[in-house]
Amino acid sequence: MATVSFQQASRIYPKSERPAVDSLDLEIADGEFLVLVGPSGCGKSTSLRMLAGLEEVDTGSIVIGDRDVTDSPPKERDIAMVFQNYALYPHMTVEENMGFALKLAGLSKDERATRVREAAKILDLEPYLSRRPKALSGGQRQRVAMGRAIVRNPQVFLMDEPLSNLDAKLRVQTRTQIAALQRRLGTTTVYVTHDQVEAMTMGDRVAVLKDGVLQQCDTPGVLYDRPANVFVAGFIGSPAMNLVTGDAVDGGVQVGSGMLPVPRDHLTRAAASNGKVTVGFRPETVRLVGPGEGLPVRVNVVEQLGSDAFLYTSLADAPDDVLHSADLVVRTEPRTPVAAGQQLWLGADRGALHVFDAQTQQRVD
Amino acid sequence: MTIASGTVREAAIAAPPPRSAAPPARPRKRRQLTRNRWGYAYVAPFFLVFAAFSLYPFMYTAWVSLHETSLSNINGGTWVGLENYRDLLQSEFFWNATRNTFTIGILATVPQLCMALGLAHLLNYKLRGRTFFRTVMLMPYATSIAAATLVFSQLFGRDYGLINTMLEAVGLQAIDWEAGTVSSQVAIAVIVTWRWTGYNALIYLAAMQSIPGELYEAAEIDGASKWKQFLHVTIPSLRPTILFTIVVSTIGAVQLFGEPLLFAGNGTTSGGSSGQYQTLGLLMYQQGWSNFHIGQAATTAWAMFMIILVIVGVNAVIGRLRARADR
Repeated sequence: MATVSFQQASRIYPKSERPAVDSLDLEIADGEFLVLVGPSGCGKSTSLRMLAGLEEVDTGSIVIGDRDVTDSPPKERDIAMVFQNYALYPHMTVEENMGFALKLAGLSKDERATRVREAAKILDLEPYLSRRPKALSGGQRQRVAMGRAIVRNPQVFLMDEPLSNLDAKLRVQTRTQIAALQRRLGTTTVYVTHDQVEAMTMGDRVAVLKDGVLQQCDTPGVLYDRPANVFVAGFIGSPAMNLVTGDAVDGGVQVGSGMLPVPRDHLTRAAASNGKVTVGFRPETVRLVGPGEGLPVRVNVVEQLGSDAFLYTSLADAPDDVLHSADLVVRTEPRTPVAAGQQLWLGADRGALHVFDAQTQQRVD
Repeated sequence: MTIASGTVREAAIAAPPPRSAAPPARPRKRRQLTRNRWGYAYVAPFFLVFAAFSLYPFMYTAWVSLHETSLSNINGGTWVGLENYRDLLQSEFFWNATRNTFTIGILATVPQLCMALGLAHLLNYKLRGRTFFRTVMLMPYATSIAAATLVFSQLFGRDYGLINTMLEAVGLQAIDWEAGTVSSQVAIAVIVTWRWTGYNALIYLAAMQSIPGELYEAAEIDGASKWKQFLHVTIPSLRPTILFTIVVSTIGAVQLFGEPLLFAGNGTTSGGSSGQYQTLGLLMYQQGWSNFHIGQAATTAWAMFMIILVIVGVNAVIGRLRARADR
C-alpha cells in the first residue's frame, strides 16, 4: 500500500508542440480509488503509463510511497496494470498467466499455486485455471487480467479502460465488482476511463483532464455540484449541464431575447473580463415558468423514460436545425403534457446556478 | 454442361418436395461443380501447368525408377521392378550421401534459423535506417548460388584463402577445407547459412510485427527482462512461423545441390575426392548424368522425396500435437 504523487510531471512527445501531459500535480492517498477521466486525447492514458513506467517523464517527477520512481523501470515500481485489451499471454493457461509475475519473481511452485488459487477464488475463476485465454469469454478474460494484477499484491493497481471491451450490461456489473474488490483489498488504484458515469460511480476522487491539463480533482459530489470551470461542468453529468452565454445586464444575463436572473455579486465578478457571462444549470433544476419570464425555448424532442421525461429544446431565437436541437435539456415529471414544437419559458433555481466568466471559463462563486 | 445443369436445376425446382428424407446425392454434387465453374476455371491454369510440369514428371520418374535404362534411351529400358530400390538401399554411396545431406542440413539449418531469429529481433527495434538493413539482409538471397559458391570457395581456399590467412594470423593452423569431411561440410553449411539467414529473418520479422505491443508491456510490468520477454512472449508467438521455416529449410537442405557441386570450383558430381560432401542431389546427378543410369537416378529422386515426406510429416504431427496441447 502506498501513496502516489505526480509532481509537475510532463510528457512531451517528440515532434509535438503541445505536451501530452502538462505539469500534472496529483496527490493520491493510500488506499484511494482515483479515476482519471477526460475525452480522448486528454492525456489520461499517458499519465497512467507514466506512472507505470511505460512512458518517459520529461520533466517533473513521480513518487510512489516515499520512493521517487521517475526513472525506474516498471518492474521496480511494484505496480500491476490491467490493460484495455487485457494483454493476456495467449500461449499460457489462466493459471500460468496469473502466476507469470510470481514465477519471474522467483516464488516456489507451491507458493505460486496457493496465491493464484486465492485470487481465482475471489474472482470466481477456479474452474478455468487450466484454460487458455482463447477459450474464455470477454468477461472471464477481463477477470483473468484483474487476477493477474491482484496475485502480485502490488502497492498500486493501474487500470487502463478495463471495461471498454465488455458489453453494456456486463460493464455495469463488473464496474461494481471492481469497486467492491478495491475496497476489500484496500490497494491504491488509479483508473483511467473516458466514461464519466464510470468515473462518478467508482472513484473516491475523480481527476478531470483536458488537453493534458488537470482541470479539477475532487470527489464525485463536488465535481457535480461545484465544477471548477465550463469544461468540467459540461463533461460531468448525463445529460450534460445546460450552458448559455450572454451579456451581463442589470439583475441577470441577457441570452437572446430572454433573461436569466443571476445574483449580483456573481454577475459582477463573472463579467469582469469582457462583460460576457456563461451560466450553467442542470436539467433537473430547470423550472417551467410563465410566458415572458426566463428563457423562451422551442421543444424539439420529448423523451419519455418512464421514471422521468427529458425535453430537448433550443432557444427560441436560435436557428432551427439539428445542431441546436438539444441546446437546453429539461428534466420534468413523466407524462408531462408537452409536445414537440411547443414554446416554453425556462427558469432555474437561483441556488442551482453555476456562474462562469465567459472569457476565462472559470467558476466565479 | 450448362444446358444439362439448367434442366437439373429446373427439375429440382419444379418437382414437388421429395417425401423421403434421403436427398439425391449425385445431381447435387454435379450442380455444385457447375455452380462453381468459374472458380474452377480460374484455378485451372495453375493445375494444368502443375500437371504438365510437376505431376507428369513426378509419375514418370516413378515409372523410370522401375526400369534399368540409360539417359539416351529412357523409354526403351527393361522392367526390373523394385530392383533399383534394393540396389540403392544396399549402396554405400547412397548411405554416404544421405549422411552428408543430413549433417550439412543440420549444420546449416540450425545456426541459420537461430541467427535469423536473433537478427529479426534486433531489426524489430526502432533503428535508424531500418529499411536499409532489411534490404541488405535480403541481398544474399538475391545472389546467384554459383557466384556466391565460387567466391566462398576462394575464401575457403587452402593456400591463399582469406579464412586460412586469418587463421594463421591469429596463430592457428591452416585448414584444408575442401579435403576434410567435417571441414568441407562446415564450409558448405556456411554458404547455405549466409544465403538463407536474411530470408528467414524477414519471415520472422513479419511475424514479430504482428505481436501486440501490449503483451510486451504486460511482461515488462510483470518483471520480465528483455531476454525473458523474448523467451516468453516472442518465441511462443512465433511458434507456427518457426515450424514453417523449419519445414521449408529442411526441404531445401534435402535438395542441396548447387553449393556442393561448385564448392571445389570445377563442378564435379563426386562431392570431393572421397565423396566427403556428396549430397543426395549430387548422387542423383552423378548416377543419371555422369554414369547414365537414369533409372537409378530416378530411384534416388524418389528416395529424396520420401525423406522429405517423412520429415514434413513428423513436423506436421508435432505441430498438431502442440496445437492440441494449446487447446
